[in-house]
Amino acid sequence: MARIEYFFRETAAGLRRNGVVAFAAMSTAFIALFLFGLSLLIAREFQLVTTQLTGNVEVQVYLSDPVNRETVGRLSDRLLDIRGVSTVEYWDRAKSCDHFKNLFENQPIFTENTPCSVIPTSLRIHLAEVGRFSEITALLGCEVVIDDDGDAHQQCAEPGVRYVADYQELLDRLDALTRVLSLSVFGIAVIMLASAVALVANTLRMGMFARRKEIGIMRLVGATNWRIRVPFLIEGMVESLLGAAAAIAALFLGKVFIVDSLRGTAPWLPLIKNTDVIAIVPWILLAAVLVAVIAGTIGMRRFLDV
Amino acid sequence: MISLQRVTKIYRNDVTALEDVSIEIDKGEFVFVVGPSGSGKSTMVRLLLKQEEATKGDVFVAGKNLSKITSFKVPHLRRNVGTVFQDYKLLQDKTAFENVSFALEVIGKPKHVIDQRVPEILEYVGLGDKLNAYPDELSGGEQQRVSIARACVNRPLVLLADEPTGNLDPNTSVDIMRLLDKVNRIGTTILMATHDQAIVDAMRKRVIELDNGHVVRDQSRGVYA
Repeated sequence: MARIEYFFRETAAGLRRNGVVAFAAMSTAFIALFLFGLSLLIAREFQLVTTQLTGNVEVQVYLSDPVNRETVGRLSDRLLDIRGVSTVEYWDRAKSCDHFKNLFENQPIFTENTPCSVIPTSLRIHLAEVGRFSEITALLGCEVVIDDDGDAHQQCAEPGVRYVADYQELLDRLDALTRVLSLSVFGIAVIMLASAVALVANTLRMGMFARRKEIGIMRLVGATNWRIRVPFLIEGMVESLLGAAAAIAALFLGKVFIVDSLRGTAPWLPLIKNTDVIAIVPWILLAAVLVAVIAGTIGMRRFLDV
Repeated sequence: MISLQRVTKIYRNDVTALEDVSIEIDKGEFVFVVGPSGSGKSTMVRLLLKQEEATKGDVFVAGKNLSKITSFKVPHLRRNVGTVFQDYKLLQDKTAFENVSFALEVIGKPKHVIDQRVPEILEYVGLGDKLNAYPDELSGGEQQRVSIARACVNRPLVLLADEPTGNLDPNTSVDIMRLLDKVNRIGTTILMATHDQAIVDAMRKRVIELDNGHVVRDQSRGVYA
């Protein structure tokens, strides 16, 4: 009991003595851990968007004219054989045209100038398993070719198929965007974490320097290394964990005031929830503890010898 | 209690501080180590505390070979060896009581032991009425008494004193020597490095004289020169 009280008293005294530097270390830890949490949340947000997109997606196989019943039946059967395909629905010209008119209800310039005869018929495929696009295009022998003009367009070997609207490319782009965004934020977070380590280590070192006389006496009277070091280690831990607490609070505030205000304006966009923020809390705390431990090891290396 | 066996200490800058020094000091002895500045007195004290390691030879303190004990055990060695220095090494922001209790606190002694022993030892060194005085409110001699109290509060087997009277006037020095003599008489082995001739001559204790890293004289009931 006396020992624990001693450690905390020494730690509190150290923080007080070292106020400004401790504050600098704390704010750096805060910014670093905030960015670290932010990169995790960005990755999570994009994961939600991707899941929603792939979850609701329909692959559209557009058919070339003239369409005959036999082709529709044959293609439907073959598509249904693919694992992950749940339903295949044939949209004839009338249905496709209604859909088109609904979609562009507010833009009469499209609907008035587009006769139903040019709107293609299609097979609408629902996927139970995401990420099966490539199998559909493979089955229908579709591939992207580059024509003489240098334009890329899709060509399908299967007779009766004009082209397949493929979301793979969109998903790939989304995935790349996620990666770039969260990696760059994560990269900044790593740099900030490194500077947090340096600053916490520096406060510990300054604290030890300010108390070198005391430490010298402690050594002389036979205090163990741990007895000398633990108050400084706790000090680093406190600085880093206070930074973590501030970072967690800031992420929650950001979620409430920024993300939640978007909720009404973009109903189609899935947004991160409180549980997503809670889920990253352990990671932030873990990062904070790592910062403190590494800073302690670096900061006290030169003071370890008896 | 203290034994140096053919000890040589060469510092990294090739300065030879001690060369082939052998000394035996028994339990309860009071020994002066004398010699001019740079003769190796302070190096000897540092070796006995394992603040430095001997380049050659063996150093024994309280039955332990210092070159064999791990750095992990060094703190436990130092709990058996009290130290007093010329500059007192007191913490200015702590009272006499706190300076002494600090030494027990940092080796993990419980509060009831501290509350009992600290006033006791301060009384013993003659500062029973100055428990709450800060170092800058005490005279040099009183500050040295606090430092002796701190060195003795954990009841060490050995007390090492490096020029303890170096900053004190002759009368105060005599008082400090009386106190050290008193500590010696309860069984504490004392090794005191000094070049205070008057004190060595007055005490008539064993004198080991160092010159340029060599023992040039080892005399019981000796004088300074």
